[in-house]
Amino acid sequence: MKKDEIEKLITLSSDLRWKIGDEFHDSLAEGIYADASEISNASVSRANEKKKFRLDSKIDSIVTSKTWGFPIMFLILALILWITIVGANYPSAMLSNLLLDNVHPFLKEVAANIGMPWWLDGFLIDGVYLAVAWVVAVMLPPMAIFFPLFTLLEDFGYLPRVAFNMDYLFKKSGAHGKQALTMSMGFGCNAAGVVATRIIDSPRERLIAIITNNFSLCNGRWPTQILIATIFIGAVVPSSFSAVASMSAVIGIAILGIFFMFLTSWALTKTVLKGEVSTFNLELPPYRPPRVLKTIYTSLIDRTLIVLWRAIVFAAPAGAVIWLISNIYIGNESIAAWTINFLDGFGFLLGLNGVILLAYIVAIPANEIVIPTILMLTVLVTGVTGGEGAGVMFELDSVNATGDLLRAGGWTLLTAVNLMLFSLLHNPCSTTIYTIYKETNSLKWTTVATILPIIMGFIVTFLVAQIWRLF
Amino acid sequence: MNYNPVNALLIFFGLVLIGYLLFRPKSGWFWIIKNNLKSNEKIIIEDVLKQLYHNENSGKEMNLHDLSNSLKFSDGTIVDVVKKMAIIDLITFNGDIIQLTSSGRDYALRIVRVHRLWEKYLAEKTGFDKTEWHDRAEKMEHKLSHEETDRLASHLGNPKYDPHGDPIPTKLGKVASLEGEFLSSLKVGTIGRIIHIEDEPDVIYKQILAEKIHIGSQIRVIENNKERVVFYAEGQEFILAPIVAANITIALLEKEESLEENMARLSSLKDNEEAEIIGISKESRGDGRRRLLDLGFVKGAKISIDLKSPLGNPIAYLIKGTSIALRKDQASKILIKKGVKHGK
Amino acid sequence: MENKVNSACETCPQYNAKGLKKLGVHTGNFDYVVALAGNPNTGKSTVFNALTGLRQHTGNWPGKTVVRAEGAFEYDNSKFKLVDLPGTYSLLSTSQDEEVARDFILFGKPDVTIIVVDASRLERNLNLVLQILEITDKAVLCLNLMDEAKRNNVKIDERTLARDLGIPVVPTSARFNKGIPELIQTVNEVASGKIICKPHRIKNVPKKIEDAVAKLSAEIKKQFPTIPNSRWIAFRLLEGDARIIKALKTGEFV
Ligand SMILES: Nc1nc2c(ncn2[C@@H]2O[C@H](COP(=O)(O)OP(=O)(O)OP(=O)(O)O)[C@@H](O)[C@H]2O)c(=O)[nH]1
Ligand SMILES: [Mg+2]
Repeated sequence: MKKDEIEKLITLSSDLRWKIGDEFHDSLAEGIYADASEISNASVSRANEKKKFRLDSKIDSIVTSKTWGFPIMFLILALILWITIVGANYPSAMLSNLLLDNVHPFLKEVAANIGMPWWLDGFLIDGVYLAVAWVVAVMLPPMAIFFPLFTLLEDFGYLPRVAFNMDYLFKKSGAHGKQALTMSMGFGCNAAGVVATRIIDSPRERLIAIITNNFSLCNGRWPTQILIATIFIGAVVPSSFSAVASMSAVIGIAILGIFFMFLTSWALTKTVLKGEVSTFNLELPPYRPPRVLKTIYTSLIDRTLIVLWRAIVFAAPAGAVIWLISNIYIGNESIAAWTINFLDGFGFLLGLNGVILLAYIVAIPANEIVIPTILMLTVLVTGVTGGEGAGVMFELDSVNATGDLLRAGGWTLLTAVNLMLFSLLHNPCSTTIYTIYKETNSLKWTTVATILPIIMGFIVTFLVAQIWRLF
Repeated sequence: MNYNPVNALLIFFGLVLIGYLLFRPKSGWFWIIKNNLKSNEKIIIEDVLKQLYHNENSGKEMNLHDLSNSLKFSDGTIVDVVKKMAIIDLITFNGDIIQLTSSGRDYALRIVRVHRLWEKYLAEKTGFDKTEWHDRAEKMEHKLSHEETDRLASHLGNPKYDPHGDPIPTKLGKVASLEGEFLSSLKVGTIGRIIHIEDEPDVIYKQILAEKIHIGSQIRVIENNKERVVFYAEGQEFILAPIVAANITIALLEKEESLEENMARLSSLKDNEEAEIIGISKESRGDGRRRLLDLGFVKGAKISIDLKSPLGNPIAYLIKGTSIALRKDQASKILIKKGVKHGK
Repeated sequence: MENKVNSACETCPQYNAKGLKKLGVHTGNFDYVVALAGNPNTGKSTVFNALTGLRQHTGNWPGKTVVRAEGAFEYDNSKFKLVDLPGTYSLLSTSQDEEVARDFILFGKPDVTIIVVDASRLERNLNLVLQILEITDKAVLCLNLMDEAKRNNVKIDERTLARDLGIPVVPTSARFNKGIPELIQTVNEVASGKIICKPHRIKNVPKKIEDAVAKLSAEIKKQFPTIPNSRWIAFRLLEGDARIIKALKTGEFV
């Protein structure tokens, strides 16, 4: 083997390196740039000396200005959410009408006709099919609107400006300004946000970005927020304001998420992830007009496929589990009812209830199915009619009916507020957990990222519940 | 006990308080117990050796009493350990005075080597704050084995100096000496370069850091009296109390290689001013420094301000045709010459 | 090899893109591996999409692509596997965010490297170009974003540039599919050896360093006579790059 020779080479290089001293890298970098200047001077000519495109600097001076920088960011976030919420209503209703009200009975009929045994029918059609159908009906429309809008913004070149504007806040909390970018990606999907943290070049700050990404409300959680806010928050104000009120509540939760992100980053920096950001550098690219049609087309096609795939892989088994636990009996109580009773005490302390907690356990694979699981379980324990048989996930036709059902299940405004908070602050979904593991390669940090938000969720909902009850 | 929100809250805050007392950084009971269990004989021996070595270097003599005053362990433990050290020939007694034997000195040098290497490592490869380097190195110096130390050294390219400017002992125990004078002793008009900033005691070190004084900077002394030492560096004036200045070491420079008078830090650049980069301060290290070079912050590059963020930090600079945002503390480590007109 | 679709006019090089067949993700059985390298946000993924017909995510901010993506296309009866890489400012650092690209350029042994640069910011982009040219002989410069350069009144003399760099230069506007046919054709010619590159080597190196590099590089050549980029390895050894030292030990270079 040439092993010795190679060792000699390495020793020689160490010696030479020692002789040159520590300016090696600087000299080399300067040398390369000197070559680069020579070459570019020889072939590039600039007709006039304008340094930056006029329009670009105009836009920049507004979106990063002291007065307008932050309001514009806030307005854009609100606008995107508004369009998503309002725009998703109609297609959502249509899809649920089709998949839940028409296709589902049809499948049941077919199953009955071919003489499928009741358990297989229940398992496949009431469990698996409904879970997938619900995800498609509720998740697809907001995603199909949110992602293209977001991509347009991204193509325009606005995101780096967000990072630029917010960097100081990140610096104050010991994190990296590029975390603003990964946080934005997290508003779509936390798993995508976690992968995007690769742009952060120092390991410590990257870890902070990974752990706190879950505080960006992802697409799987928007629908829950919107639905609950519409039913409960919208109801406390006069009906002409109810849209605005529920809208503000949802935005409030999103902003609260950002606040928790800063808080957690800061707390991590002060304790287990001590240190300071050594570098931050961010290139601000020129603005580029987005290609609207192409963007809409591609993000629609891409996201649709991804959502469908995910629905089948994760929601289907979850649907099956729901069906199973509500149909397997121990003594004369189903597993579901038994667990709910067990969790009720703890749920009460948090201003929630056993149903919600069980729903969150079942919904670890996909946050999307939290609401239908809650509805189904509520029917199961309250005995209120309006749903279908045991273990059937469904969405009630109108928002009102859903509200009536939940109130019958003992829900109050407090339950609603705390559910919204808990939906923000709880463990990441299984895909995200797996992604975190792949990216950090560490069981320890994966555990921290999983447990931390749920502990915060417990604390926050607990405090809110106690203080609420004091008055 | 019946449920009542007040009780629930009280129990909760009780638990939080206990958690805080147990785990609060540094002085939490949990940490104290953990540390006490860990500080074994080896650590005490090594701390004694280091203490003796540093005093020997500054020409001070130590007896048992001085020693136990300067270390945090109980007097009884120190007496036991010192006895043992004499037996294994790390120290000898010269009357009252404790002295290092040559094997004791070698051992001490090894500890110093690990300490300084580790500080270098923290500076180059991690984002830890400067104020934390010392404490972390203090722990690490008891942990690394010979092989690990050598591997660390070659990983860092066998550096000669630690980030404070202290020489790192070589594998064979050789130490370069610091050729310089304390800033507090310099005459007005002296020109020099900062080569060392002492990191102990902590209070003074923090003051130096707060002034944003950088190692490697060229300086000229403007005023030096009992009240204050004033010097000029990188386009700014710095005012220090003499005891603070005594912790900064300066290597004298010949007048010929005297400093560029219109040198300034990039952080002092104003809107609409144009400048040329002279170089990057030694204070910028490791990957951060490399990235700046890669981004085109090299000698001779023209630079101006493009944008300021709403909160005033970071600032985006226009360099080689692109707008690049940097934080203020990074910008303060880039040296420029103001007042150059752009364009070829 | 299995069924190949013949181009409409195989013999005439002018009639280029007709021979292009986008193969999407089917990367089996290829003849050449082509890497897409370049600074962040210069349009690498856009070029990738134009060539393969895939829909890699693109976005107007540096760092959009963080994992490498593969796709394929067929041209002139040869199959090319195309690898889209995350953007890098340099190959001289050891920072983690640039690891994927650095590793592939160095150890992925691409047959041709397409270096995508932003025409309006040529000087800063050349930093990476010059480094890549130390590593590989077979490269094509894709002068992208030509539409923006025109808007900014930047004119580039492509001939001078190609002569100075010693590699072919192809102006493109990938977003509008302009220049893509020419790019494919040039890549094919470089891959098949029709065009021989004589890449520029970094000149402005201080004498002290150049001497050390020469000495080390000679030693490396003695050990590995076939190695094409001994000078680059010498640079990296002087920097103490642990990854390169490991590669030398495991023989990844040969
Ligand atoms: N005007 C114009 N825009 C382009 C052209 N090519 C790419 N773009 C745009 O430039 C931006 C960056 O393109 P990408 O393909 O994502 O760049 P990339 O090099 O892959 O970037 P990273 O993955 O971040 O390294 C996108 O907004 C593209 O639409 C072009 O030729 N002209
Ligand atoms: Mg890309």
